[in-house]
Amino acid sequence: VKVTTDVEKCQGHGRCYDLAPTVFDADEQGRVMLLVAGDISDDLRGEARNAVDNCPEHALALTD
Amino acid sequence: MDARTSREPQELYAMLRTHAPALRKEGTGVIVSRRTDVLDQVLRNPEIFSSGLGAAELGNIRPLIPLQIDPPEHRKFRMLLDPLFAPKQVRELEESVAELVSELIDSFSGTDEIDFVQQFSLPFPSQVFLTMMGLPLADLPALLDMKDGIIRPHVKLGTGVRHPDADAYREATGRTIYAYFDDVLDHRGPGGNNLLSAFLEAEMDGIRLTRNDILDICFLFIIAGLDTVSASLDCFFRYLAEHPDRRAEIVADPAIIPDVVEELLRWETPVMTVSRIATRATEVAGCPIAAGEQVLPLLGSANTDEDGFSDAGSVQWDRTKNSHHAFGVGIHRCLGSHLARLELRVALRVWHARLPDYRIKPGVDFVHTAGVRSLLSFPMVLGASA
Repeated sequence: VKVTTDVEKCQGHGRCYDLAPTVFDADEQGRVMLLVAGDISDDLRGEARNAVDNCPEHALALTD
Repeated sequence: MDARTSREPQELYAMLRTHAPALRKEGTGVIVSRRTDVLDQVLRNPEIFSSGLGAAELGNIRPLIPLQIDPPEHRKFRMLLDPLFAPKQVRELEESVAELVSELIDSFSGTDEIDFVQQFSLPFPSQVFLTMMGLPLADLPALLDMKDGIIRPHVKLGTGVRHPDADAYREATGRTIYAYFDDVLDHRGPGGNNLLSAFLEAEMDGIRLTRNDILDICFLFIIAGLDTVSASLDCFFRYLAEHPDRRAEIVADPAIIPDVVEELLRWETPVMTVSRIATRATEVAGCPIAAGEQVLPLLGSANTDEDGFSDAGSVQWDRTKNSHHAFGVGIHRCLGSHLARLELRVALRVWHARLPDYRIKPGVDFVHTAGVRSLLSFPMVLGASA
């Protein structure tokens, strides 16, 4: 499973890096930055799912 | 709005969604209440629903920056301002914000009755603001007068909302705000550790802020920075005073406070609506809207719509899917949202560690103001009930 981010949709709400700080971080503008490349490990999947579910802009997704 | 509806507007929102998802209110505009309409029709279409001057009457002569700026110019201002309010910057304030909360609580320790508004919710975010801007604490009363003179001049004057005297008072207050910050900026340069100096220094791709730009930002901050966190605290502490069992959960486990803040932001939606103006004839939820007409997307209704939240009508701290829109969505997402979250989390944490028991003074009935849901007074009894 991979995490994808849509930087066009991101408005810097910051829910993702708040809820899943090992998967996401903020850039200088407060917009999303992905910390993991490629498939995410099983132990981070719950955290990542939580971030995806709480993004007000639907800017994140989990894909197989 | 009657007292009960002002405290619990969720029922009214539900009624609107069911019976009048786009309701034209004469003299106000078209109120939009269904979640998909609020988000996808109105807020995510700034080319049809403009935020420009005229979308709200706030006593200003130029558009407020960045609130009343449309794309593409909007992007430039957010590029310059977002870094100043990014999570990393805001996190550095945590300790001083916690100290301020403690000091305010110290100031009324030993008393068993306070006015939560005058003694806590009003001074707390305002003092954070003054510190960030590098303004003297002695200016607080003047700044609060400016804020109230813009947001609710009718309350200050005791007139109706649309009374001509109230409009004149708002405009006069607007002139006072420009003059106040013009004078402050005359004596301010870059290099200081405060937001005004940061505005003077901000630069991206050769673009800098002009004096008027900075005045238009400061004008917005007086309104947005002083009132919205106060209103959030009024809503949150009223809810927690009314629900001692829910409050006990916070006292027992302060680690849930970030979730509590998100759920109360969703449930209470302290800024119940924002405002847009139609740039051309269009339609929302079957309701024709004329060019130039005002449209009010109800954030509070979107946040309590079953369409977006399971069991939307119940308050759940452990809600796993809570993509609420209390800070708006789209390009105008609240610039100060990270600061607001920090202030709210710290306030709940420090307060409940020191004052786990409080209640609304018996016999008191209060009304939240419409729009931004402040309280004018909140008599609170401290300590365990007898």
